This record gives sequence, structure tokens and C-alpha cells, in this order.
Amino acid sequence: MPYDAPGHADELTDELRARWNETIARAFASQKDALKKRFFTLDAGELRNPFSTDAIKWPGDPGKPAFCVGEANAQALSDWGLTGRRAVQLEYCEYMVLTARDATGALRPKRVEITTEFREFWACVAMHDPDKVRAMATDVLGAEPSWRELYGVADPHALSAEEREIAFGHTCAGHGNDRRLRVAGVPAQPTGRLNMQRALFMTHPINGIDDLIYVAIFGAHAYCVAPRDERRQAGGDDVFSAFKVTHLACNHADPTISLGVYDLVYQARGAQVAFQNPLGMYIREPNLDVFSHDGGRVPDDWVRFSRGRPGSYMRLEFGPPDDHEAFLDDITLSLGASEQPLTGGYQLLRELEIGPLMQAGEAEPIAEDEWELLEPAPGTIACDDAESCRAVRDLLVRYEAERQGREAPRTMPEPPKP
Amino acid sequence: MAALQEGIYHAPGRRPGRHFAALFLRVLPGVGARAAAAALGDLWEMLQDLKGGRVRDLPGVGLTVDQDDMTVLLGFGRNAFALDGVGLRRPRGLADEYLFRSADPAGGGPLLRGSGLSYAPVVSANMATEAFCVQVIAESKLAVDRAVVETWKVLSDASEPALELTTFYLGNQRNDHRSWIDFHDGLSNLRSEDREGVIAIGPGTDEPWAVGGTYLAFLRIAVDLPGWRRLSRADQELAVGRDKLSGCPIVDAGGDGPRVDPGCPVAGTQIWESANDAQFSEPPEVSDPLVRASHVQRANHHIRPASDSGSRRIFRQGYEFLEWADTRSPGGSQGTGCGPGFRAGLNFVSFQDTPARLLKMLTAGGWLGGANFGGDEAKLPELASLLSVFAAGVYFVPPVVDGEPFPGAAALGAAIAARPPVEPGSTARPDPTITGGAPAPPA
Repeated sequence: MPYDAPGHADELTDELRARWNETIARAFASQKDALKKRFFTLDAGELRNPFSTDAIKWPGDPGKPAFCVGEANAQALSDWGLTGRRAVQLEYCEYMVLTARDATGALRPKRVEITTEFREFWACVAMHDPDKVRAMATDVLGAEPSWRELYGVADPHALSAEEREIAFGHTCAGHGNDRRLRVAGVPAQPTGRLNMQRALFMTHPINGIDDLIYVAIFGAHAYCVAPRDERRQAGGDDVFSAFKVTHLACNHADPTISLGVYDLVYQARGAQVAFQNPLGMYIREPNLDVFSHDGGRVPDDWVRFSRGRPGSYMRLEFGPPDDHEAFLDDITLSLGASEQPLTGGYQLLRELEIGPLMQAGEAEPIAEDEWELLEPAPGTIACDDAESCRAVRDLLVRYEAERQGREAPRTMPEPPKP
Repeated sequence: MAALQEGIYHAPGRRPGRHFAALFLRVLPGVGARAAAAALGDLWEMLQDLKGGRVRDLPGVGLTVDQDDMTVLLGFGRNAFALDGVGLRRPRGLADEYLFRSADPAGGGPLLRGSGLSYAPVVSANMATEAFCVQVIAESKLAVDRAVVETWKVLSDASEPALELTTFYLGNQRNDHRSWIDFHDGLSNLRSEDREGVIAIGPGTDEPWAVGGTYLAFLRIAVDLPGWRRLSRADQELAVGRDKLSGCPIVDAGGDGPRVDPGCPVAGTQIWESANDAQFSEPPEVSDPLVRASHVQRANHHIRPASDSGSRRIFRQGYEFLEWADTRSPGGSQGTGCGPGFRAGLNFVSFQDTPARLLKMLTAGGWLGGANFGGDEAKLPELASLLSVFAAGVYFVPPVVDGEPFPGAAALGAAIAARPPVEPGSTARPDPTITGGAPAPPA
């Protein structure tokens, strides 16, 4: 299994590459065997006559809150600093808005930092090569962080690899739903400032490679429905209802991945699908013509893609540099007949598309006994039902309470689970 | 129970009628929502009568309309929600960010920032932005023409005029499944099972009264035929993404010219016949960048599920038009050189649960963003000015709700008593009765 560093952003030693591939393999191995069919392979090299698909991508803005509380509230929640990031930024894309004071002393948004980098990759490097991870962080942050900021200790080299993983989890990466880390007391989200005040890489467990692999292999099946004894392709409602995972239908990323993979399998009557090397989550380049500053194009150095190559970037910093007097909300976003100031990350994410690079190859036709006949869904999945929206609605109550200066409940609602 | 209005031919096997009219209705100054509702109620009733073969000026005369299969659809524009006394706030899909930009008062101007589409230089006012629009579709031209004339009559006969017909656009479908650029059109429309999920506003919105409705986008687009015909066949095919004769999708640019799948179309069929639906109607994903830049590839990235607005799938229902125009004078054609003395183009009509689908398709990078039509526009300037817009509008199409005298009546803030249906042949013209009261949530 030959996966390089995501986005080819980093040169990996053979050993580090092996460790990264072990991480991926573990995430795959942790999935239920019943989900694993021959229509998905972890090794893109196995594909016969492979072709790349550009169909598995989605808008980066959080979909679920818009279903539950409408777009305006979704924007408010998503742009609600670290709270918003940790609660609703669940589309394999996280961001932080950096602020600064203007000449009047008012705090204003300066730049948006968007990352689609997997925590598992950073944690893997941090575990096995502290110098490497510090170099990566320096490159991203623009200044070299201390060991204590990265690991919470003065010298991570003195720790074992497992101790480094735990230490890095505490300060920068969180536990990512990894049982070993949870048992070791690593919190779900990191406590260090590097990945709280900045968007160093994704930290929410839902934005991890195990979830990505799960939704991909969930789609890599020969599903069908046959309402009048005529076999046809199942729809999203059919697939997610049949397996009682209707929550997967209610965001952008999960249904796009699952149904995109399924579409490749079904339409080719048996294609085999894999993540293209390197496995990563990539930002497609937006149309910058919709942004303007002072009536002209946004300067090139206000749009900084990094951590990858053209077509496979995983990081975007958008907004004026520190030494420029302008602020993010001096940028105008032209949408339809409106001109609106760019005030946060949500507006920007709506202009971006996110997704992994995937490939499909020829395979044996689907055999009769491989078809999985599903019952047609009884109806359209309601993504605004009270139960699945409870966490988002509770969050909105907290947000409004805070905005109105009232005392808000101090408990953090659990975000929706996939 | 809310349901989509008629006139959206999304059900399997249903084909829209051959003839089309889009009528745009302005609310006269000083007229509020209640009076506009009364006028719309009267208009709606007249149009329903027309479907049944009854014309108000011909009492007792039954017209032969069996073959017309006429449908009528009513849309509400942004201005409808600005009327005094309106019962509902402007729906989200009519927010400014989902509307087209205005034409430049001096003529022309971009349709959207980030799009390569512009208004024609002769267009200084966009006529498709009125408070209401009515779409009429029928199998006969007479039926849609008559709807236009009868609309004028009913509005001008009103004792207290509230609405006026400001403009209308006509179109027709071609039975060769092609457009004026000679290529097949409309082949890769949505799979039938995906359509309702794309068209209908579903639950999961804080505007429950809009559920079951949809948004109509209308673009009157003219084609620079002289410019188009200057291109070679190969350049045209790479711009469209299909073979000019067979309609089969181009799979690579090829050294000797664009290539298609050798199995396309299925032997003994035309590309638009159902035998090709599964394999060839929808262009496959391709890797050749020249083909990826073509119109059909830019407009559809094959993203699933279609019900997610991120797929940018829309349901299209377009009608060609041809009209006389003074295009022979220098600059009369929207491209270069003299025009043919007429204007040919497309009444682009699409239905979607949010206009964002269409607007993002037209502006997003890698999609149609920055492109006028598609193809290699940097190398072929004819393509960069192939299309020009003569009118553009976005309308909310309210659902049909039991008890409402016309779709969207509640949005205008007045409960209007439902009346018994008029018997065939009756000459009765009961006036709509405004009973007052707003059953809908406050604006």
C-alpha cells in the first residue's frame, strides 16, 4: 500500500511512510468485515485501467446546521470561533478566523485559516519524528513553535513513541476517537493554543480517516432496489434508510462520498474503487473573481494555498497579511445581485469544494449473488427532525444567550455523531 | 398537502408541450398585496377556464382544446414580497444573493460576478424582474398565444387595475432535439428518480410554507450564430462536448479530431432515445483537459446525491426562440460583424429547490465560472461572446395547497374564499372575494 504524504506536502523517510501506511491500514482494519466488499481496495495500485474521478467533492460549509436552523444561523454557529469549529465544522474541513484590532481599536476579522489535513497524519509524524512535525508546524504557522507548545514537555525526544503520541494528542491533536488515547486520558479536543487559536490541522474525530474510509466502503456495494421486479439504482434515501444510518444523509460530505463510490460501482456494473495516492482531503481552487477589494481583484498574496500542490492543496489562508492595513471584511464577496463583506469562514467555504481524490478501475461484473436488494425508502429522510437537530439547536440557544450577554449553560453539547 | 405546481414535467415519461410563453406582470403603483391577490385570483381563474376551452369574451362557446394539454404555472418575484400588506417574508431563495444582477443602465453588464455571461449591449433594462411571472406551456402555439392575449384582456378589463403585462417571451421545442447551434440539447438532464429531490423544496427549512414549492430561473439567451458558424466542426464539438451529428459525448480531443465512444449511440437508435439513457446521454467523466473545458463537462460534475445542492444539478426545461431583430447594422449582432437579421436563442428555464445550484454552476471555478459557454475561450474569441442575455429572473413557485384559490395566495396576506368550480359552458365570472385575515406566519 503505497500512500505518500497527503498532498505530497512532505518528504517522508521510508520508515515514516511505512508508519503512515500502517495508520491507514489500521483505520481500514477497524471497520466491520461485512462492510468490506471487493468493490473497494485500499491499494490503488491494484486497479485495472484506473481512471480518476472528480465527482466526489462537496461545498466546505457545514451542511447539517443549515438543515436544522437555516443558513443564517448556520453561518453564525460555524463562525463562532473555537466553539463553532468544534461543534459544527464536520465536513472534513476546519477553519479559524484570526482577528486583529483596527486603528479605532475595534476587533475585526483579519484572515481565515482553512485546513483539510488529517490529524492522523500529524499525529503519526509527531509520534515518530518530532523534528519533522516541528518543521511542518513552523511552515504552517510562520514561526517555530516550542516543544512545550507541541508536546507539553521540554524534550519529546526523551519520550517513547507512544508517550509522544499521547503528549501530542493532549496539546495539539485530541484523541480522534482512538481507544488507546482515550484510555490514556487524552481529551477529544486538544488543549494547546497552537491548534486552538490557529487551524493547524483538523482535530474533530468525525473529520478523521476512519470515518472517511467507513463512508467510502459503505458505498462500495452492489446495492439496488426492485420496486416492480425491475432492478434499478438505489437512491440515497434507500441506502441510508435501509441500514438505519439516516444521519449520513444530512451533511454534504458523507452522502457525497458514499453515493459517489456507489455510483461508480453501479454505473460500471462492478468497478473497483480506491483512494488515489496520496490519500488526503483536498481543496479545489475557487473562482476568485467573486471576491474583490477596493473594486479590484484581491491581491495574489491574500490568497495563499499551501500544504500540497496545485489541485491537491490542503490549506488556504485567505485575507490580508498582518502588515497590511486592510481586514478580511474589507473584501467584498459578490453573490448574485448582492455585495457583502467577507466576515468569516462560512462564506468562504461556500465558495470552495472539498474532497479526496479517488480512482476507479475495471473489475469483474457484479455477480447475481453480489446484489444487495434494498427495500425502497418509505419516504424522504428528514434532516430537520428534532432528535437529530437537538445538538445544533442547543448550540444555537447557547450562541444567542452569549450574544445577548446572558448566562449560558456551561456544558458543551455533543456534536452530531455520524 | 403541498405539491409542485403543474408545468414542471419531471415525472417519468412526461414530455412538456411544444410551445412556451413566459409572461411578466408588474404591480401598478400604489397597489397593495390584497388588490394584487384579487387580480391574480381573477387571472388564475381565467387561465383555468382557458384550459377548459372557455374564453370570457365568447360566452357559451366551447373551444377545442383537447389536444392543447395546456399548463399554467405562477411564480412570485422579489417585488411581490415588497408589496404593502404581504403575508410572508421574502423566501430565502429570493434573497439578493440568489438573484441575477441588473443590466447596466447604459446597456450590457455582467449577469453575475464570476460568470462569463453578460447582458447584450442593447439591454439596459432587464424585463424579467417583475413581481409575478406566468409560465404557459401547451402543445399548440395558439394556446400559448391566446393565453397572452387573454391575460392582457383580463388585466386591462379590471375595474381597478392592479397588474399590467409588461412583457412576454415565446418559445418552442424542436422535434429534432437540437438547438440553434445545431447540436443536441437537453440530453443529460436529470435521471427521473433524481428530479423531485432536485426540484422540490424539501423539509429542513425554517420556511415550512415553501415546502413543496420550487424556484424557477429564466434566462433569455441569444446565440451569436455568425460567430458560431465561423468555428470549425471540431472546435464546435470541443466547445459543446458532443459529436455534432450523432450527439454522442466526446471522450477525448484526439489527434485527428474529437473522439467518441465507438459504441455510441446504441445501434439502430438516435442519441435522444431511451436506449442510450444509461450509457451515453450523460457524458462520462473525462481526463482530457480540452474536453473537460467543454460545456457539457463544466455543467455537470456527476456529483451524488443530486438532492444535495452541492451537486449543482438542476432540472432544465428550455425552449428555443427566433425573432426578428435589427442585427444587420454594425454592432447589431452581439458578436462581431453583421448579424443575420434575426435573433435566435434559448429561453433557458430551470427548476431547483434553491437558485444557489444554478448560480454556483455559473460562477464556480472548474464549472462554468468565468466562461461564457465553455470550450477553449482563450483561443477562440467567438466562444467568449457566443451567448448574451436579454432577460433574466428568478421566481419562487409556491406549492399547490388545498384550499388556496391560486398558488401562493397566502403569501399575499389575504385569505381568499375558495369558490365552487365553474361549470363547463357557464358564463359566470364570480369576483374573487377577499375575506381578509392572514393565515400565514407574519412577515
